[in-house]
Amino acid sequence: MLEIRNLVCCYGKVTALKGISLKVPANKLVVLVGANGAGKSTTLRAISGIVPASRGQIFFNGEEITGLAASRILARGIAHCPEGRRVFGQMTVLENLEMGCYLRTDAKGIADDIDRILGLFPRLAERRKQIAGTLSGGEQQMLAIGRAMMSRPKLIMFDEPSLGLAPNIVEQTFNIIKGIRESGTTVLMVEQNAFAALDMCDYAYLLEAGTMALEGPGERLINDPHVREAYLGAGMHA
Amino acid sequence: MDQLLQHLVNTLIMGGTYALLGIGLTLIFGIMRIVNFTHGELYTFGAYMMYFFATILGMNFFVSIAFAIAAGMVLGALIEFTLLRNKRGADIDTTMLLMIGAWIIFQNVEQLTWGGIAKSIPSPLPEQPLTLGPVSLSWLRAMVLVVALALIAATYVVINRTKLGKAMRATFQDSNTAALMGVNINAIYTTTFGLGSALAAAAGALLGPVFVVTPTMGDLASLKAFAIVILGGLGNISGAAIGGFILAFAEEIGAGYISSGYRDAMGFVIIIIVLLFKPTGLFARTERVG
Repeated sequence: MLEIRNLVCCYGKVTALKGISLKVPANKLVVLVGANGAGKSTTLRAISGIVPASRGQIFFNGEEITGLAASRILARGIAHCPEGRRVFGQMTVLENLEMGCYLRTDAKGIADDIDRILGLFPRLAERRKQIAGTLSGGEQQMLAIGRAMMSRPKLIMFDEPSLGLAPNIVEQTFNIIKGIRESGTTVLMVEQNAFAALDMCDYAYLLEAGTMALEGPGERLINDPHVREAYLGAGMHA
Repeated sequence: MDQLLQHLVNTLIMGGTYALLGIGLTLIFGIMRIVNFTHGELYTFGAYMMYFFATILGMNFFVSIAFAIAAGMVLGALIEFTLLRNKRGADIDTTMLLMIGAWIIFQNVEQLTWGGIAKSIPSPLPEQPLTLGPVSLSWLRAMVLVVALALIAATYVVINRTKLGKAMRATFQDSNTAALMGVNINAIYTTTFGLGSALAAAAGALLGPVFVVTPTMGDLASLKAFAIVILGGLGNISGAAIGGFILAFAEEIGAGYISSGYRDAMGFVIIIIVLLFKPTGLFARTERVG
């Protein structure tokens, strides 16, 4: 469904991605793990067209989307739920959801989808008129996920969905993401909580300093000695 | 008491146009982080366009106001498109210098085009003032108030009740995330600058017939707009609307009860007081942490 070939991204003189390749097959949950600054967020930002690609190509459903405007990429069906939730803090819950379907014009479908998402997240339904900045971290994460779903994406990308959340909320968030995949939406997720991410995924990539270090099914990465030592904190138990 | 009532009516009239100036400036700063030194020139431009359409071409007075506002919007959008579009992400000093340069150029072009002699714009409204008990005001000034209030209301509706306004507010809060939602940030910036400029031009078109039109009339308007924006808090739209009326009130009271020579100084007295005691403006929102 999504394919990246030899993607290079630079911020000024710093090369954040040094030619990475990656595939996300339809209806799968693929995760991208790695340390801080490895280039995980940059990869997602390049896919959504927020960061320009210096070299390389990105294909979605067989068509090249490299260099397209962010709004075009979203319109093709790729939604991006950014790191740190980034809800619009001075807008209401409802307005945030409406921003999620900014490009859509089908009023009936939008109203149905808002009802569906509020049904999925009853906490948000209770707070639909509340200013998003006053929600708890977990509620903001639900809102950010709901907002990303409002564009009816084919592929949804999550950047560090567990960041700064209490452990029980993290588990709830991961369950929601698994539910999204089960309902037929493809998922690409960046996550620092490597163990949980590898445990729930269909396939995983390990990014180290802007290059793809390792790839394979989740359980293979979990059992890889290098991954265990560097990312799962299992070194001392081994 | 009668005198105070008259001052309050005058406050409303000047306050309406000050609010337009302030909202335009704060909108541009809030969404784009641009300190727009051309704002006063857009005010001057609006007044000259009013002179051009109403006096030179002899068009209907109210149609001329609408045309002057539209011309201001087009000029504002052009400024954004030609001067600021490729300076996206430049630091605030760069764009500030650029805007100061544009300000000087605009003012000199106005002088070159229209000459230094003040122009007056005759109004078709009755000369006989409107008398309401102890208060009297000219029909022209009453019209200025009504149109200004209508424009403030229209701006409020656009920002709070339309899809465009929602996209503008989203861009204001987090332009990167707004882009992820599919908002065309460049288009929002051009629209914002056009809208802010249109409001300045509207203030000029409304006050042009009340006073006279000169090439340097925008300087004081610019300074007053900055005073209003500081008063209301940078980027705070309702703060700017209220700030406009507070400045007008301070000027009226200062001119009426202290000395009319101090009228224009009142704005700066207010800036100094606000910066000393409440530097984030009178209506600053509490900052969100995290």
